[in-house]
Amino acid sequence: MTARRDTSEASREALLSRGGHLAVSRDPAGQGRRPEDPATELFLVMDEHGATNALNGHVDLGTGIRTALAQIVAEELDLPLERVSMLLGNTGAGPDQGGTIASETIQVTAHPLRAAAAQARAALLALAADELGVPVDALRVVDGVVGAEDGNRFLAYAELLRGRRIHLQLDPATPVKPVESYRVVGQPVPRTDIPAKAAGTFSYVHDLRVPGMLHGRVVRPPYAGIDSGDFVGNSLIGVDKSSVADIPGLVAVVTRADFVGVVCEREEHAILAAQRLKVAWREPPALPDLAELEAALRANPAVPRRLKETGDVDASIASAATAMRRTYVWPYHMHASIGPSCAVARMREDGITVWAGTQNPHWLRDDLALLLGLPVGAVEVVRMEAAGCYGRNCADDVAADAALLARAVGRPVRVQLSREQEHAWEPKGPGQLMDVNGALDERGELVAYEFETRFPGNRAPTLALILTGVVSNIPSVGDIGDRTAIPPYDIENMRITVQDTPPIVRASWLRGVAALPNTFAHESYMDEMAAEARIDPVEFRLRYLHDPRAVALVRATAERAGWQPRPEPSPPAVAEDGLLHGRGFAYAVYVHGKFPGTAAAWSAWVVDVAVDPGSGEVSVTRVTAGQDTGLMINPAGVRHQLHGNVIQATSRVLKERVTFEHGVTTSNEWGAYPIITFPEVPRIDALLLQRHDQPALGAGESASVPSAAAIANAIFDATGVRFREPPFTPDRIRAGLRPEEPAFPQALPGPPAPPARKRRFWTGALSGLVGAGGLALAALPWRPAIAPIAPPDPAAYAPATIERGRLLVALGDCAVCHTAENGIPMAGGRALETPFGEIVTPNLTPDPETGIGGWSYTAFERAMRDGIGRDGRHLYPAFPYTNFTRTTDADLQAIYAYLMAQRPVRNELPRTGLAFPYNLRPLLAGWNALFHRPGTVEADPARSADWNRGAYLVEGLGHCGACHTPRNALGAMEGGGAHLTGAMVEGWEAPALTGLSRAPVPWDEAELFAYLRTGQAQFHGVAAGNMAPVVEGLRALPDADIRAMATYLASFMQPPPKVPSAIAASVQAASDAAAGPLTGSIGQRIFDGACAVCHDPRTATGFGARPNLAFNTNLYSDRPDNLLRVMLEGIPRPAVPELGAMPAFAGSLTDAQLIDLTHYLRARFAPGRPAWSEVRGTLARLRDR
Amino acid sequence: MMQHPVIHLQVNGEAHALRLPADTRLLYVLRNDLSLNGPKFGCGLGECGACTVLMDGVAARSCILPLGLVEGREVVTLEGLADEHGLHPVQRAFVEEQAAQCGYCLNGMIMTAVALLERNPHPTDAQIRQSLRYNLCRCGAHIEILRAVRRAAGIPEPEVQE
Repeated sequence: MTARRDTSEASREALLSRGGHLAVSRDPAGQGRRPEDPATELFLVMDEHGATNALNGHVDLGTGIRTALAQIVAEELDLPLERVSMLLGNTGAGPDQGGTIASETIQVTAHPLRAAAAQARAALLALAADELGVPVDALRVVDGVVGAEDGNRFLAYAELLRGRRIHLQLDPATPVKPVESYRVVGQPVPRTDIPAKAAGTFSYVHDLRVPGMLHGRVVRPPYAGIDSGDFVGNSLIGVDKSSVADIPGLVAVVTRADFVGVVCEREEHAILAAQRLKVAWREPPALPDLAELEAALRANPAVPRRLKETGDVDASIASAATAMRRTYVWPYHMHASIGPSCAVARMREDGITVWAGTQNPHWLRDDLALLLGLPVGAVEVVRMEAAGCYGRNCADDVAADAALLARAVGRPVRVQLSREQEHAWEPKGPGQLMDVNGALDERGELVAYEFETRFPGNRAPTLALILTGVVSNIPSVGDIGDRTAIPPYDIENMRITVQDTPPIVRASWLRGVAALPNTFAHESYMDEMAAEARIDPVEFRLRYLHDPRAVALVRATAERAGWQPRPEPSPPAVAEDGLLHGRGFAYAVYVHGKFPGTAAAWSAWVVDVAVDPGSGEVSVTRVTAGQDTGLMINPAGVRHQLHGNVIQATSRVLKERVTFEHGVTTSNEWGAYPIITFPEVPRIDALLLQRHDQPALGAGESASVPSAAAIANAIFDATGVRFREPPFTPDRIRAGLRPEEPAFPQALPGPPAPPARKRRFWTGALSGLVGAGGLALAALPWRPAIAPIAPPDPAAYAPATIERGRLLVALGDCAVCHTAENGIPMAGGRALETPFGEIVTPNLTPDPETGIGGWSYTAFERAMRDGIGRDGRHLYPAFPYTNFTRTTDADLQAIYAYLMAQRPVRNELPRTGLAFPYNLRPLLAGWNALFHRPGTVEADPARSADWNRGAYLVEGLGHCGACHTPRNALGAMEGGGAHLTGAMVEGWEAPALTGLSRAPVPWDEAELFAYLRTGQAQFHGVAAGNMAPVVEGLRALPDADIRAMATYLASFMQPPPKVPSAIAASVQAASDAAAGPLTGSIGQRIFDGACAVCHDPRTATGFGARPNLAFNTNLYSDRPDNLLRVMLEGIPRPAVPELGAMPAFAGSLTDAQLIDLTHYLRARFAPGRPAWSEVRGTLARLRDR
Repeated sequence: MMQHPVIHLQVNGEAHALRLPADTRLLYVLRNDLSLNGPKFGCGLGECGACTVLMDGVAARSCILPLGLVEGREVVTLEGLADEHGLHPVQRAFVEEQAAQCGYCLNGMIMTAVALLERNPHPTDAQIRQSLRYNLCRCGAHIEILRAVRRAAGIPEPEVQE
């Protein structure tokens, strides 16, 4: 039987069914219904077993609010903290208190809970007074045990509840404890959740597994991050289900309007299915270009709303001594939760249960009911913790996705968004535009202040509602822009306006919503005016600040930081450390909620910065953050939140900016959206004012609000330049300091790379021969078949011979081509794509019918030496018999012995069927006549034995030249000086193995040995692409053979290399020197966020190779092909496991980002080489593959 | 369908033989086949570090590691750090310093710190910051995390900043 509710121990039924209990509830309709009624809201349930469950509508978003609320309950009930369990955001039983926003939990939603606890305590004391026969006044409570002051009988709360059912209607006016008697509240206590989180035993919503659970993934439309416009919900043309039909465990492909999802048994298959599913979408129309943010914000339709008007602004500005008009621009930001959103949904007989990390469980319940067409009562939302969200991320979106998929398949479905989806689709913290106009009179008094702000954001409806068309794609206009739009100063003539404006891209609230950008403008402008008036900026503010707590905080913070008054800006001076140092101040009180709003904690910052005048890098070295929070429930928690807000805000101000192309979000991972890292974290001096006699205020976000202005003011102090648009990235600082310079050093484009002549090494061979039919006919186009034999008995071969054959087969890389994708080794079936069609490689196991079991040695030798099959047909020269022919008889016999000793595998394969004329195999005879030179390798007596052994291995079975030697128009390897000088193979560049090598540190024997042996050479990089399986194959060979190959190949290097380490040092130095001027470029940002974790030479830790790109041959090549291909495809199968794997970035970075990154890598790591000229075209070609 | 060859690995001291495709990412195997919740999916690109595990004692990003590369190796996850004496000293230090807000990145922070102290028991503050450079935290718990790693390393706090 399906349970009606899924929230087992936290359900209303369970809470009220554990024997004697006391419950405090509220009937929203005011009808006094009992707590069993599902329409009522429970605040507190205590039972005879000693459990105390307290319920709050707000949830813990990682801020520690669970602990602080428990402190409040423990305080009022005189219970030990650990005896209180908090149930947060429980839609089945708890109160609906709206979304967990604006740091309101303590300031607003904790009040009824506190009253409920006080009410329960009073009821319990009344019971105890009765039982003990003493007046209530004479009782005291210690740790939940009640007794008379001087008595010797004690009763625990649990005992008092035995057999009783006490139901109280919440009375919000219940008297609560006086602050003076607090012993739990106001004490710094450790958070209750951290031990389990550190041990790995905590269950986030991501960790929930319900029986029979499937895994779903969604496929989002191409209009990434947009939720309004005609095309939204109307763009799906169709899906091709056959494109995923072969994925194991595929359960369903689900579509509804623009909602597309897949469901599989296993998570990785769901991910694969979402990637592979072919979906046809209509192209989105041209969207506003957000690259020019100010223009886009101004162009968006808006309705002005006057928030405040005093005096006569226009007249006072017109008559003022100094008027100053300024515009401040705020970029789009992301919540950027570390864990992409996740949810699990399960259909029940009578509705649906959804486990979600939502910020607003009750709103989500309403959304789900609307989406699914169910009554609200049939939807249960169980809130579980998730990654911190700081506002509205995709937590609700993914809950709706899971609900749609679970209903479609009738089984529980877990959905987690990809990193790229979370980044692209989360409702952004919107870009914002603030225009300020103001005036000073002749005495330097600020007499007028006019402020107008535009905030293109709304509540961001849950995405599935919009994608399915359940909710209109016409955006609602939000009213959030008014938060903290009125500055905290008393200025005689003031006019404050908000331009209410709909979202351009999906945008909603993010920490310090609207207040942080508005304060950036207010507090930058105050600083600009102070400089204009030649008054110390702190002093200037204090003139207009009349709130005594604000004044006290500003003074205390300035004093704590050792603020030195500066009546006028000092000229910038480079200090001994080569940096420009500066200090800035800003102050705010965060006003949130519906206008005119509620004020949370007061906050002030003093910031110290150091600016590198060369690179433009800004370091925030120290933040002195003062805060007046009133009563602090958990001072440790307030301090932690303050630290977090300082760090996150610093990150936003210094580094963060969402990027767009054609209006859609292109910041899809941490490279394109970098956030602060440990080395950049400032020292923080938190000054928490002790105001325990004052009401508790929202503590979290307030500390972030002064950040941007304080930092901008400090940069102004350091550099004398005013920056009015964050983020303050190095490129912007350089542009501000030296506007005449180009943003980044411009490398001259190099000459075009030689054309990629062949897609496959033998491309062109056949087409050339079509016209050379005469030749073909002259060259014995038909050969006789050799009669099949019974498969030879493997016992006839000596084990040593078979073992030798094994090594030779490894050397020849036979398994690479003769094994299908995830197929049985050597059983053939790999489809080699060619311009002429697919060639299916044959089965090399000794199965008599489908393999080579019927091949005599004579037939085998003819194939290896002449390229003729047993049946007499010519083999396509994709099979490198022109090299294999160099093999000695003894080695060929050993290979034959080895192959015949393998387990036969029956594997029917489709015949290779090339179209006319390429199906005319006899033409190949002519090719052979022209280019095939049978015979073994002649020994060179002038060379060492090692060299000769190397020559035999390289030129014979190793067939290095098959890839590394250029081919003529007919696809044959060029001879003479062209040998091993590099070529293009299957879209990879096989680089020159001669003096033409572009490697910055020349190859020598030691490096070649290391590369072939371990897949990695210190001064050259790792084997990837087609070379990875080659090195993998070589693992079977003894060191001596690898050494011989290295000796032979090194002899082609001209001139002989000098001391590699000395050259390497100079190469590294050149790369290091190139880094500075590139700082702040898009390429550098992406490299730092996406690549440096493995390619930062300073961090040589972690599993796998850490290739230093300054030595990577591919960066120095004439063409970017190999670099681009590795970035697109990654290195999923390394040559040896120790190298680790590299992920593919094709689905995470846009073409423009890959191009920027490519140019950066070239300029940074191959600074002596010209910029590549054909990156875009090459990328397009490789994307098409 | 073809049966996949068995892949052997040790996880938290227990031997496992898994018949899964060699290209399955280790993270999904740990979470979905072995029910281990310590390692978290953060980015799938090895960028953020939330999925970090120890492979033969070295920090590794399990979201990008194909299972085939783990053959024959010893994997330790957050759950496997504790021993009969209780939590690992690094875990204890994180609890004592309250070094988490939402805690989603915590796995990566602890595992990376364990690996750091394993190879360098007495790191400088700069070395700690550098070794955690590519572990991202969005809540801003950095100060507490740095204190926790210093505590685990037995480095006294240079000064009380409050």
